[in-house]
Amino acid sequence: MRLLLLNLLRKPLRTLLTVFGVGVALFLFCFLEIVLAAFNAGVDMSDASRLVVQHKESIIFELPMAYRSLIEQTEGVAGVTTASWFGGLSQEPLANGEKREEFFAQFATDIERYLALYPEIEVPADQLRDLLSDQMGCLLGGKIAERLNKKVGDRLVLRSTIWTQKNSSTIWEFNVRALYTTGSPTFDETMMLIHEKRFDEARQFGRGSVGLYILSIADPERSAEISAAIDARFANSPYETRTMTEKAFNLQFVGMIGNFQFLLRSIGSAVVLTMLLVSANTMMMSARERTREMGILKAIGFTDGHVFLLLIGEALAISLLGALAGVGLAWLLANALHYNPKPDFFPIFYLPGRSMLAAVGLAALTGLLSGVVPATAGMRLSATEALRSV
Amino acid sequence: MCPQPIIQFRRVSKVYHKGGADIHPLDEITLTIQEGDFVALMGPSGSGKTTLLNLLGGLDTPTSGEVIVCGQDLAALSSHERARWRCDHVAYVFQAYNLLPVLTAYQNVELPLTLMPLSRRQRREHALKALEIVGLADRVHHRPDELSGGQEQRVAIARALASDPDLLLADEPTGDLDAHSAQEIMSLLIALNRDYRKTIILVTHDPKVAHAAHRELHLEKGVLSRDVDVKNQRM
Ligand SMILES: Nc1ncnc2c1ncn2[C@@H]1O[C@H](COP(=O)(O)OP(=O)(O)O)[C@@H](O)[C@H]1O
Ligand SMILES: [Mg+2]
Repeated sequence: MRLLLLNLLRKPLRTLLTVFGVGVALFLFCFLEIVLAAFNAGVDMSDASRLVVQHKESIIFELPMAYRSLIEQTEGVAGVTTASWFGGLSQEPLANGEKREEFFAQFATDIERYLALYPEIEVPADQLRDLLSDQMGCLLGGKIAERLNKKVGDRLVLRSTIWTQKNSSTIWEFNVRALYTTGSPTFDETMMLIHEKRFDEARQFGRGSVGLYILSIADPERSAEISAAIDARFANSPYETRTMTEKAFNLQFVGMIGNFQFLLRSIGSAVVLTMLLVSANTMMMSARERTREMGILKAIGFTDGHVFLLLIGEALAISLLGALAGVGLAWLLANALHYNPKPDFFPIFYLPGRSMLAAVGLAALTGLLSGVVPATAGMRLSATEALRSV
Repeated sequence: MCPQPIIQFRRVSKVYHKGGADIHPLDEITLTIQEGDFVALMGPSGSGKTTLLNLLGGLDTPTSGEVIVCGQDLAALSSHERARWRCDHVAYVFQAYNLLPVLTAYQNVELPLTLMPLSRRQRREHALKALEIVGLADRVHHRPDELSGGQEQRVAIARALASDPDLLLADEPTGDLDAHSAQEIMSLLIALNRDYRKTIILVTHDPKVAHAAHRELHLEKGVLSRDVDVKNQRM
C-alpha cells in the first residue's frame, strides 16, 4: 500500500501531469454534460402526466380561447391551463442612458390554473394572494429575479417583440408581486407568468386566442388515447390541434438544435477520448520502465497477484485522482457556485448526478484499461526475465 | 531448521528454446549442499550459474530432474506457492540494482517482512537489527540514490537477513564494486555464515572472492566440472 503511494510520488511531475490530463478530460466531459443537460432542460423538467395542445400546423399559430372548456370536458383530463408566449425583453436603464435588454421566458396564463398544473412551482402564500388580486402583477422565478435585480413590490418593464397595446405601445409594465422557487434542480427558475385576462384585454390584436393549452391527466398511461380524443374533437375545424406529451413538445425545441448537439458531442467525445488515451499510455510507460523492480519484488517473495494489484492500483489511483479533480471542479463551478456562462441562453446550468457517476465510471474504466495491460504483463513476467533486464 | 541436506539436485536440466535452437544452460546436474555451508559457484560467463541460482530460489523451474530445497520439491509448487515459499526460506542479493529506488534503506529492508505475519513493532526490530549488522544503522532513512554502491549492497544483504532465511543466494554481489567495498561485502558474508550459520551460495568470477568460501563449484557449459572442498584443503 505504501509502496503504491511512493511509486506515485516517485516522479511527482509525471504523476501530476497524468492526473491533470485525466482531470482536464473529465472536466471537459462534465462541462459537455452540463451543456447537453442545459439543452435538454425542457425535456428533463417535463412530466408524463402533462400534455400540450398546439395548433396542428405550427406552434406559431394560435388557438381559440373557447377550446378550454371543450378540452376540460374530455374524459380523463384533470386540469387545463393556457400559455401564450409574450416575447418580452427587460428594459433596465443603464448609466449611459441606454437600456439593458435581457431575454427570458414569459407566459400569459391563468396563473391559478397554471400553478395547479405545476406543483413543482412553490410560491409563498401571502405573495400568491397579492399576485392574484393585482391584474398588473407578475410572478418571477427566483433566478431571473436575482438576475434582473428585482424583488417583490418592484416595477418591471418589458418591451414585447410580438404584442402591442391598444395605445400602439410595445412597452408593458408589471408589478412584481411574487417570486417562486422549485425543489428540483432541473426545473426552470427563470420564467415569468403574467395574467392572461389583463394581457388579452390590453393587446391590440389577437384577442380571444391563446398559444397553447397545457393539461394534466390523471393516468399517464392513457396519454396517447386522450391526445387522440382531443385532436379528434377539433378535426375539420378551422383550428385543428396537435396534442402531445409535454416531453415530446419540449423535444421539438431540442430537435431544432439537435444537429448542433450531435456535433458538440462528437467533438467533445473525441477530445475526451484522446486525452484519456494519452494518460493511459503514460501509465503504461511508467509501468514498463519498472520491469526490473517487478523482478525484485518477485524475488523477495511477492506473488504475481501482488504485482498485479500494485500496478492496477497505481493506474486506478491516478485516474480516480484525476476524476476527483475534474468532476470536483465542474461540480464546484456549476452546482455549488452556480456559474452560468450565458444565463439568458441556458435557464438551467447544472451537472446532473448521473453525469458525475458516468465521469467517475469513465475514470475507473480508463484506470482499469490502462492498468490491466501492464499489470497482466507484470504478473506474467517471469522473475528471471525481469532480473536480466538491467 | 530444514531437513538435511538443505539442497539436493537430482539430474537437473534446463533447456531454453530460442529461435528454433535449444540452449542447455544446465545439463543433468546432481548436487548436494549441507546446511551452514558457504559455496562459491564459479564458471565463465554463460555457463549457467545464474540459471542454477534461480532454480535454487524457485524463481525458475527445471525442465527435468528434481530440485529439493529445505525438503521441498520446488517443481511440485505453483508459482504462487513458490512465491510464498521463497519469502519464508530464501533471500537474494543480486549484482546491482537490488533496491526499490522509491523506498528508503529501512523501507527496503522492511519490505519482505510485510509479507510475514509480524507486527509493526517486530518488523521494525528485525529491520533495524539487520541494518545494524551490516553497519548501516546511521543510513536508515537514506534512499538508494543517496548511498554508495557498497552501501546499497549492504542494504540488500540486510534485507536478505531481516527475513531470517535458511538460504542466502548471491549472484555476483561484488561484481560492480571497487576492491575495498567488495572486501567489506565479503567480510560481511563470511561473518553471516560463521556467526549466524546462514547457508550461502555465492556466484563469482573472482578466484580471490571464491577463496572465502568453504567449497568451490565450477560450472562449464552446464556441467559441474570441478568440486573443491576449500576448507579441508586449507586445514
Ligand atoms: N530466459 C532465457 N532464454 C533463453 N536463453 C537463456 C535464458 N536465460 C539464460 N539463457 C541462456 O542460458 C545460458 C546460461 O545463462 P546464465 O545462467 O545466465 O549464465 P551465467 O550466469 O553463468 O553467465 C546462456 O547461454 C544464456 O544465454
Ligand atoms: Mg549470471
